Amino acid sequence: MPSVRTFKGGYRFVNFEGQPKDVLEEALIPQRVTIPLRQGFGGEGNCVVSPGEKVCAGQIIGSNDHGVSSPVHATINGVVEEVRRINYFKRDCLMVSIKGDGTSDYQKVQGATPHWEHLEPIELERILYLSGVTALDREGIPTQMRSSVILPEDACAIIVHGVGSEPYNISQNILLQGKNTLRLIEGIRILHKIMPNAKVYLALNSQRKKTLEELLKLSAQYDWLEAYALEPKYPQGYDEMLVPTLLKQKFPYGYSAANIGAVIVNLQAVLQAYEAVVEGKPLIERTIALCGPAFKEPVHIKARIGTALKDLVSLRIKEGMIPRFVLNGILTGPELKDLTLPIDKAYSQIIAIPENHRREFLSFLQFGPQSDSYSHTFLAKFYPTTKKTCETNKHGEERACISCNYCEEVCPVAIIPHLLSKYVQRNIIDETVMNLRIFNCIECGLCSYVCPSKIPLAKHIKDGQERLTIQGCDRNQCILPYFSNLKGIEEYRGAKKL
Amino acid sequence: MRLIRKNIDTLKGILEKNKRLARLKPLLSAVDEFYFGTDKVTTLPHIVDHMDIKRYMTFVIVGLLPATIASVYFWGLRVLAVIAVSYIFGGLVEAAFAIVRKKEIHEGFLVTGLLFPLTLPPSIPLWVVAVGVMFGTLFGKEAFGGTGRNIFNPAIVGRIFLTIAFPTIMTIVWNEPFHSGLGGFQRYFADALTQATPLALFKAEKVITHYGDLLLGNSMGCIGETFRLGIILGGIFLILAKISNWRLPLSCIVSVIVFASIGNYFAPDKFAPALFQILSGGFLLGAFFMVTDPVTAPFTKAGKWIGGVIFGFLVVLIRGLSGYVEAVMFSILLLNVFAPLIDHLVLDVKYQKNKGIK
Repeated sequence: MPSVRTFKGGYRFVNFEGQPKDVLEEALIPQRVTIPLRQGFGGEGNCVVSPGEKVCAGQIIGSNDHGVSSPVHATINGVVEEVRRINYFKRDCLMVSIKGDGTSDYQKVQGATPHWEHLEPIELERILYLSGVTALDREGIPTQMRSSVILPEDACAIIVHGVGSEPYNISQNILLQGKNTLRLIEGIRILHKIMPNAKVYLALNSQRKKTLEELLKLSAQYDWLEAYALEPKYPQGYDEMLVPTLLKQKFPYGYSAANIGAVIVNLQAVLQAYEAVVEGKPLIERTIALCGPAFKEPVHIKARIGTALKDLVSLRIKEGMIPRFVLNGILTGPELKDLTLPIDKAYSQIIAIPENHRREFLSFLQFGPQSDSYSHTFLAKFYPTTKKTCETNKHGEERACISCNYCEEVCPVAIIPHLLSKYVQRNIIDETVMNLRIFNCIECGLCSYVCPSKIPLAKHIKDGQERLTIQGCDRNQCILPYFSNLKGIEEYRGAKKL
Repeated sequence: MRLIRKNIDTLKGILEKNKRLARLKPLLSAVDEFYFGTDKVTTLPHIVDHMDIKRYMTFVIVGLLPATIASVYFWGLRVLAVIAVSYIFGGLVEAAFAIVRKKEIHEGFLVTGLLFPLTLPPSIPLWVVAVGVMFGTLFGKEAFGGTGRNIFNPAIVGRIFLTIAFPTIMTIVWNEPFHSGLGGFQRYFADALTQATPLALFKAEKVITHYGDLLLGNSMGCIGETFRLGIILGGIFLILAKISNWRLPLSCIVSVIVFASIGNYFAPDKFAPALFQILSGGFLLGAFFMVTDPVTAPFTKAGKWIGGVIFGFLVVLIRGLSGYVEAVMFSILLLNVFAPLIDHLVLDVKYQKNKGIK
């Protein structure tokens, strides 16, 4: 067993109720899908279909060969109904609605073959690009077709991560069931062929001994591949924490790992890259974990991209409950308010937790066998096997900061949230807060989580950043001077603005 | 529970109708929140910790309970009256400011109200307690803008005010503690004696009280400071519960050991031995419960170590060389003064401009 790697700060979320079970259900082929033309990383594609046109699953309906982007596919066979702009995650986005005929077959990606070893890297890149897999994860997978901000030859490290440090994670047993472990290695080999200069780091959860051992054994065959055990402490799964823990390198906060030549992908993305190259399957499906106590049965579900959220979740919610739906991360993920919107490439968890307005009698005197807390003041700390409750109550009134220092202790990037928050609230927005490294904040939200005074520290820090930017003090001044050879900064800015 | 709910709702109705009484609203909502918690929900992050300030302060009180219960045993039921007076009069000041400021009442007072009487001599007149706690709350806390903004520990401000304003009451009369049977649980107060505390005894006659007596409380001193075993246990409980930080108490104790040993080696008639210094006076109560008050102590990690060393140095210095034996409270006040400066210097070093990110 290799030594377990970790970082300073952070907090381990253990055993929240409603963890997704190791069950994978296939959703029905939907009657109608709505496909956003901007999904995952990259800009919006130009629509290449028009209403009334017949399309088949796997056919490209949106692409842009000039900007940083990856193609988007039709995910069912059917007829294009309408193309219109909708507000999607606070940005305007072109949506293509398709009325399906219910068949499940799809068009294969051109050039895909099980004998991919004989292909040239450029051909592999084309297959990945055409399959849409290159838009996955925060900065995409680099190819010559400009699917990421850097080119494949610039990549010096690939980090494949399946740490699972959030309170709710997609199950590794589901992702790696059957022969998927071997497929994962195959997928990693494909990525390595495209980026031959890169060393591959396989970051795994140190608690999952079985998977870890298996992959350690498999990875030993390749000298460019190494598996690491990481403590599943939040926010280890963030790019900002993976780079320092694995590469022992500083992270350019506010920019991306790609800028220092690191490509970070998760397990599902690698598996989908394998499927695209070997089986010719375009990115039309995602495995999504439905987690949280508001689901009758938290399971995994395989659904076509573009399926409306309500088709997936509405029948699975407990009777009479109006939960809050959150995408991917319970701490920082956006709330999914409009359930008519579709799922896209970036979905991996949908979390539903009950809205809890209920007041609790003498809540501060409860023993709390199910209450999660950073402090050791609840019985839950003595019962690690008991499921912890998860709802949206604030559990206390907002009070003045008492400098208890919990926020500093958990901060993964070693800034002092309570101090920054005090400065921002007193309108001291100048060099002082820049020197206190306000721009290092990665918005993981842990400080707001642990604060006993219930101060929204992460929000105050973000406010401070925004106000500094308005004053012309950019994060460039704080971050860039410490890095000499960042790649693709211009493209990164361009992609952010898209 | 329903009865309380009903009463609060009725009172709320009255307050809403009567314009003059509407000012008392912060008071009522404080009571409401105290009993029933909150119905607010989170925005981002979507879930938050179950810990809140009420629980935080409750735990500090739980940590003080061994010393408090023991103090009733040693000094009689009158201690309870002293604590009640402290809570009532301090609470009045707190409530008055909450009404004027139209802000909620901060739970920090729950700790001050208990900590303050524990630092007073057992035979203290009740009116002096009232004066002290009102002064402490007013000038130690409210004058700065309430809990979270105060520079000084309010309990210490009140205690120092009393020491300077009423020196005879505060330093001359001490009681002999009960130490058999049910002790003070069935008596109202202990007999007053004009005898000296262990620290004063050392100063005057170089007598070192037996360490076992000091540890278990069979010695003279302030209400809550003599049952030192209970203070240590309570303090360790708080550290284990992550309520108070271990750095400050540890650095205080280590620094007293070092400086007292040095002093005792060179001038044994002025400086008492290290162990005696730790086990006498209010040192343990101060180190575990007052220095660690997060609002007034340095908040940086390095600052906590530095603060503890300064505190220990001052305690040994004041005890050895000045006429006062109340070194702990003066040292806490001085440490509170230095805390912002210490933090500032630590931050300057930590976040040097050219050091780069992380």
